[in-house]
Amino acid sequence: MRKAGLVLLVWMLIFAGGCGTTPRPSVLHVAMPVSDKIQDVDSNYYINWLEEKTGLELEITMIRQRSSGEYLEALFSSDADIDVVLFGDSFTVQEEELEKYAEQICPVGDALCYYNNAGSRLSGAGQILWINSGWLKKLGLTIPSTTEELREVLRAFRDGDPNGNGLADEIPLAGIRGSYASSPTEFLLNSFVYNDPYHSRYGVNGEAETLMAETEAFREGLAFVHGLYAEGLLDEGCSARSQRQLCELVNSPVDLVGAFTTASVSDVIYPGNPEILARYVYAPPLRGSEGVCNALYTENRPRVGAIITGRSPRKEEAALLLDTMCGEEASLIARYGERGVDWDYSDGTDVSVYEGPSTIVTKNYLWNTLQNKHLNGIGPMDVPLRYREGVTWNGVNSDTEYVDGHARMAYEKYLPEPGRFHEENAVLSACMDEWIGDFVSGRKDVGSDAEWEEYLKSLQQFY
Amino acid sequence: MGRIFKKLTAVLLTLLLCTGCTKEAANMDRWLETAALDAQESPQELYEKALKEDVLIVYTVSTRLAQTKESFEAAYPGLTVELRDVRSPSLIEAVEQNHEKGNRDCDVVLCNDNSGEFKQRLTDKGLVYPYLPEDIAAHRKEGVGGDGASFLLETEMLFYNSGKFDSCPIRNLWELTEEKYRGRIYMPNPLNSFSTYAFCGASMQKETELAEAYRRYSGKEAVPAEGENVAELFWRKVAANIVFTNSSDEVVEALSNGEADFGLCVSSKLRLCELGYTLGPVWELDPFSACVTSYSVMIARDSANVNTAKLFIRYLYGEADGKGEGFLPFRSEGCWSVREDVEDGASVPLSDIDLIYVDQDALIQSKERMNGFWSGIIRESGRRE
Repeated sequence: MRKAGLVLLVWMLIFAGGCGTTPRPSVLHVAMPVSDKIQDVDSNYYINWLEEKTGLELEITMIRQRSSGEYLEALFSSDADIDVVLFGDSFTVQEEELEKYAEQICPVGDALCYYNNAGSRLSGAGQILWINSGWLKKLGLTIPSTTEELREVLRAFRDGDPNGNGLADEIPLAGIRGSYASSPTEFLLNSFVYNDPYHSRYGVNGEAETLMAETEAFREGLAFVHGLYAEGLLDEGCSARSQRQLCELVNSPVDLVGAFTTASVSDVIYPGNPEILARYVYAPPLRGSEGVCNALYTENRPRVGAIITGRSPRKEEAALLLDTMCGEEASLIARYGERGVDWDYSDGTDVSVYEGPSTIVTKNYLWNTLQNKHLNGIGPMDVPLRYREGVTWNGVNSDTEYVDGHARMAYEKYLPEPGRFHEENAVLSACMDEWIGDFVSGRKDVGSDAEWEEYLKSLQQFY
Repeated sequence: MGRIFKKLTAVLLTLLLCTGCTKEAANMDRWLETAALDAQESPQELYEKALKEDVLIVYTVSTRLAQTKESFEAAYPGLTVELRDVRSPSLIEAVEQNHEKGNRDCDVVLCNDNSGEFKQRLTDKGLVYPYLPEDIAAHRKEGVGGDGASFLLETEMLFYNSGKFDSCPIRNLWELTEEKYRGRIYMPNPLNSFSTYAFCGASMQKETELAEAYRRYSGKEAVPAEGENVAELFWRKVAANIVFTNSSDEVVEALSNGEADFGLCVSSKLRLCELGYTLGPVWELDPFSACVTSYSVMIARDSANVNTAKLFIRYLYGEADGKGEGFLPFRSEGCWSVREDVEDGASVPLSDIDLIYVDQDALIQSKERMNGFWSGIIRESGRRE
C-alpha cells in the first residue's frame, strides 16, 4: 500500500512537472550596432516589450564594426548564426549597397529586401547657424542678419576676448569639412546662391539641371568664405577634425566657440548641459551682398532599418519581429519611449513644437540621450507623420527637439518649395568638395580665372 | 481562536500603521528642526557647513540662474550646483513626485508663483519653505511677496513689433480683436505658462474695467453670450487672432522676424533687445497692458543640502548689502527688485505701467472654470490649424 502510494506520488510529480513546463520561446539572433545612447540592451524596455509582444526570445549580438559593408562581408562569408541585422546610429547602409548581397538577404514582399526606418527626423531645414549669445551681449553686438554683419561679429569675437580668460583662444566660427551640416562654408554659400550639397549643388525645381557650383555667385560666395578663413575667423580648414572634436570644443567649459552650424543641436551639444545650450541662440539665414538668402532643405527619406539574412532558419519569426517593430505602437515606443511614463497622447490642450495640432506630449525627452527605453533610432520603425509633427514641448529648456524645432520653423520661409531635385552624383560631389576645401583654405585661388577654369573643367568630367 | 487571531492582527496592523504615521511626522519635524530655517547664520558659517554637503540641486524656470550658479561656484570653491531647467508646471509636478516617492532630488526651487498652482500645491502643502534671513528681510520693499519668498518681480505684458511700428499702434485692448490682426498676435499657451495664466486669470477678475474699455472703444455695451462674462467674451474674440506658442521665446522670435504684430510675454525678455530682437513694450493701454508676476525661491522640504541651499539663496538675493553678484543676472530690463536697496534693472517704474494684479486665492477658486475655458480655446485653435 505504501509502495503504491509512492508510485502514485512519483507519477503525480512527473505529471505536474510536465504541466508546469511552458514551451520554450523561439530564440531569434539579432545583430545591432553598439550605441553610446543605450544603457543595457538586455534590460532595455523596448527589447523586453518586443519579446513580450512577439513571444520571441531575442538574443542580441552587438556589432562593433563601424562600416556596415565590412560587417556584412564578414557575416556572409562566415557561418555566424544571425537572423536579423538592425541598422542605425552611425552604422548605416544604402539600398544600392545591399544589392550585391541580394542572394544572402531574404526578400521582403515583391522586391524590397529590407525594412524601412521612417520617423527619426522630419524633412525641412537641414542646417542651422548657432551663435554665442553670451559673447554677443558681452561685446554689445546684435545677432547678424547679413554676411557682412557676421564678418564684423566674428572679428569682434576674435579680438574682444569674450570668454574673458586673457588668451586669444576664441574660435569665432567653428566647423568641420567631413559633414555638410557642420560646415559653415555650406551655410554661407546659401547667402550667395542656392547651395544644396546633398544634391551635388544643383538647383531645385526649375533650376534642377543648373549646376549652381559653376555660377559666378557661387564663386563670390567662396571668395567671401575664403576671406573669413584668411582672417582667422573661420576654423574649418582642419580636415582631420571629427564631429566628436567639434563637440568637445563647443561643450568646453572654457567657452571657446562663437558660432557653429548643425542639423540638430543634439548632434553637437552633449545632453544634460543646459548651461552650454543656453549659451547659443539660432541666427536666421543670412543675406548676402546681393540680398540672396536661402536655407538648406534636407529630405529625411526612410533609410534601411533592418534585413533578414537569407540563411536564417527562422524567417517567419524574424518577419514577425520586424513587422511588429514597424507597427504604430512599437514605432511610438521606438521614438518616444514608454507610454504613460515618457510620453502620452495629447488631449489637444498643448501646442505642437511644429505649430500643428498636438498629438504627443513628451514627459521625458529621451532622443539622443543615454537611456534604456528604446534603441535611439536603431532598427526599423514607421512613426506616422501626424505624431512626428504633433509632438509637444515637455517644458525642459534643454529638450533638443524643442530647441531644434523652433529654429527649424524660423528657417522654413527661406526653404525652397520641395519639388524636383537633381539626383546626387557622388563622384561629382566628391570632386567639388575637394575643390571647395582648397578654395576656402587658399590652397587654390578662387580669384584666379585660370584656377576657376581648371575647377570648372574638373567638374565637367563627371556630368 | 480564529476570532482572537483576527482581532490581534487588526490591533497589530493599527499599531504598525500608527507607528508609521508618527514616524513620518517625526521625520518631517526632524527635518524642519535640523534645517533651522529661522537661524541667523553668517555666509561663512553656512559655507563651512555646506562644504560637508553634496551637490546642490536647483529646479529653476529661469535660464539666467546659470550665471548665478557660475559665480556662486567661483565665490565658494568646493561647492557645486546642478540646475534642472524646467517650465513651471513640470517643476511643480516634479517636486510633488519627489515628495510622494521620498526622493531627495531637489534642494531649491525657483518658480513663477502667481498662477495659484505654486501656492496651492507646494507652499500650502509644506513641500517648499521660504528662507529669508533677517539681514536681507530688513531691506524688502513694503507689500512685496506675501509669503516672503519672492525675490524678483516681472510683468506679463503686451509687446508690439518695434521693427514694424514706430510706436504702439493701439490704444485700447479691444483693438486686438480686429480682423486685421488675424494670426498676428502670439501668446504662450496659458495652460503651460504660469505667467500667462496669471495675466489671463487677473483679466478675468477685471470684468468691469474691460466692459468700460469696450464702451470707450466701440461706443456700445459689450454683449457676452449666455453664461459668459465680459472677460471671456474678450478672450474668445481675441483668441481667433492668436497663435499659441510653447514659450515666451517663440513670441519674441515671432515679433522679431515679422510674423507677429503683437505678443504677450514676460517683461524680462526685454533684455533680448540687446541682441537685436524687436520688442516694443506697451506701457500704457486702456484698460491695462500687463500683470505683475513674481518669482519665488524656496527650499524644498527634505532637502539634503540645506546649508548650501541657504547660502545659495542668500547669494541670489545679493547678500546682506544687496551688492553680491548673485542677483546681477536678474538686474536687467523688464525686472524689478524686491529690495529697496537694490536698483531695478527696469528703466520704467512699475507705477508708470497700466498694471493689474492677480488675486491668487480668487484664481484658485475659479480654477476649474478657467481651465475649462482655456482648454476649449486651445482645442479650437488646434482645429483651426
